Amino acid sequence: MKKYLIRRLLEVIPILLFISILIFVILNAMPGDALLQMRMENPRAFANDPAALEKLRAHYGLDQPVYVRYGVWLGKMLQGDLGYSSTYRVPVLNLLKSRIPNTLFLTITAWLIGLVVALPIGIYSAIKKYSAFDFLATGFAFVGISLPHFWFALMAIIVFSVHLGWLPISGMSSYGLTGTWEIFLDRFRHLILPACILGFVQVAYWVRYIRTALIEVMNMDYIRTAYSKGITRKKVIFKHALKNALIPIITILALDIPYFFGGAVIVETVFSWPGMGRLMYQAVLGSDHNLAINCLIFLALITLLSNLMADFLYAFVDPRIRYN
Amino acid sequence: MPGKNQIKTDDPVHIAGYWQLVWKQFRQHKLALIGGVIFLFLILFTVAGPFFVPHKYGDMNFMAIFAPPLTEEHLMGTNELGQDVLVRVMYGGRISLMVGFIAASLSVSIGTTIGLLSGFFGGNVDRILMRLVDVMLSIPMFPVLLTLTLVFGSGLRNVILVLTLFGWMGVARLVRGTVLSLRETEYVMAARALGARNSGIILRHIFPNVLPIIIVSATLNISFAILAESSLSYLGLGIQPPTPSWGNMLQNSLNYMLGTAHGVSPWWLTFFPGFLIFLTVLNINFLGDGLRDALDPKVMKK
Repeated sequence: MKKYLIRRLLEVIPILLFISILIFVILNAMPGDALLQMRMENPRAFANDPAALEKLRAHYGLDQPVYVRYGVWLGKMLQGDLGYSSTYRVPVLNLLKSRIPNTLFLTITAWLIGLVVALPIGIYSAIKKYSAFDFLATGFAFVGISLPHFWFALMAIIVFSVHLGWLPISGMSSYGLTGTWEIFLDRFRHLILPACILGFVQVAYWVRYIRTALIEVMNMDYIRTAYSKGITRKKVIFKHALKNALIPIITILALDIPYFFGGAVIVETVFSWPGMGRLMYQAVLGSDHNLAINCLIFLALITLLSNLMADFLYAFVDPRIRYN
Repeated sequence: MPGKNQIKTDDPVHIAGYWQLVWKQFRQHKLALIGGVIFLFLILFTVAGPFFVPHKYGDMNFMAIFAPPLTEEHLMGTNELGQDVLVRVMYGGRISLMVGFIAASLSVSIGTTIGLLSGFFGGNVDRILMRLVDVMLSIPMFPVLLTLTLVFGSGLRNVILVLTLFGWMGVARLVRGTVLSLRETEYVMAARALGARNSGIILRHIFPNVLPIIIVSATLNISFAILAESSLSYLGLGIQPPTPSWGNMLQNSLNYMLGTAHGVSPWWLTFFPGFLIFLTVLNINFLGDGLRDALDPKVMKK
């Protein structure tokens, strides 16, 4: 088990390297770079010296071939130097440090909302298979899977923020608030819509998944055995069936973590939430290559680690699985 | 002259073929049937619809900007240029559905080919191809999708290209899994013993048996592509205006959504394109669900 763990952890490294090369090459194939942006913003500084652009390009090493630049970038990154953001003009590390908590705040809340809603619905509709509740839940899941989440977010803004005026339209906090309670309430009001929408999309998948997993377990022989021993229905469901159904459920809960970060790109953009997703989107749009690369690698790392976590959890909760 | 293989309808010992059984099974799945019918209707709506509306998608009318739905001549209202939303939704649907169909068929073809090769030949071929799938799956899809469309430039062709690039892995895995078990069946061994070539075995004996999986994946891939195209267009990276697509109509509606310019929020600009995306994807999902049940021989026997 320990050996397997270490091997899997080590496997992350070449995959991450491959992804970083891919991202580096793709971004460098993009038209425009930080210098062109600079020239657009300061046309006068460049007007007097036509060679300035070339000089700067050499200064920043942008005249080197892609593989040389990749090597330089990789070397610096391994030493913890993530470089500067050309649009924000601050070290990328500082930007990430201030944005990552915001995204985690949003995604973890959404994940918890998803869990709290999906688990009871999924379990109940599996227990009451083919009942009116089950039918409703399945219908609800289909609707959730088919909703484009940005549209759902827009309609929610129109209804709750524009027409009813209950909730703020966008952002993460209001200015000029004093008092801990007021600030807390303000944060909460800003969080409701984005977190619910991000969570709701996943609820739909999870409900279906939990239902199937539990129904599958309920058909097992050992459940019949448990019933025949005279154990109450409640005990059979919660002590025997649910425990075993949790194995695939936990896996899917971990495997889906990247979707929250992916979905966060859209939700953060719609709600102007100052997080990683929006940062990445703006970096890519603004040809801020260095920032974009770091954001993308961070997202790739999250994906890889949550895949890994799903695998380990799987082995951890299911004693039958032994990795060698 | 009735041929040897022709099925006579009054034949008392007529045994239904696979596809007849599938149809019989599918018909019983009410939701899937309704889904299929609505989906066909949606295709008809976008393809033939514009001929029944007295407007073109570019027609502007500054006397009737932001007309709410159900006003004279404008069933779904008009936008900031007085363009008829109904006819734009129809044209937008053509683009969105086309992107969905093309991207899905391309990615399913790639996925099937890779899955067949990987599952049938095994060994190093399998190892390399499945590693590729693993790596592709661990790339955060949406951000890279975004980056790629920016690099290649937005527009119909590139959107399809990018969606294809990220849509084939699931199919490849599913097909490979099935082929792995099919490879060991008696009839494949029999074919091999009779001297059939690899290509013959794959195409004549294995492919027909993976077809059900491919069909189900294809329907689900269409809905994935439609959703992804609309997200990209929404971020301004998909189909570019003036060509309407459901995604870019939604993006455009953002500018007026808060109603600050005109005092009223023209909700219909946001509602209709998004609702049609939703309706399309929902019905494709119903259809896919029904097909999954209908095509599964295990379910069929019940």
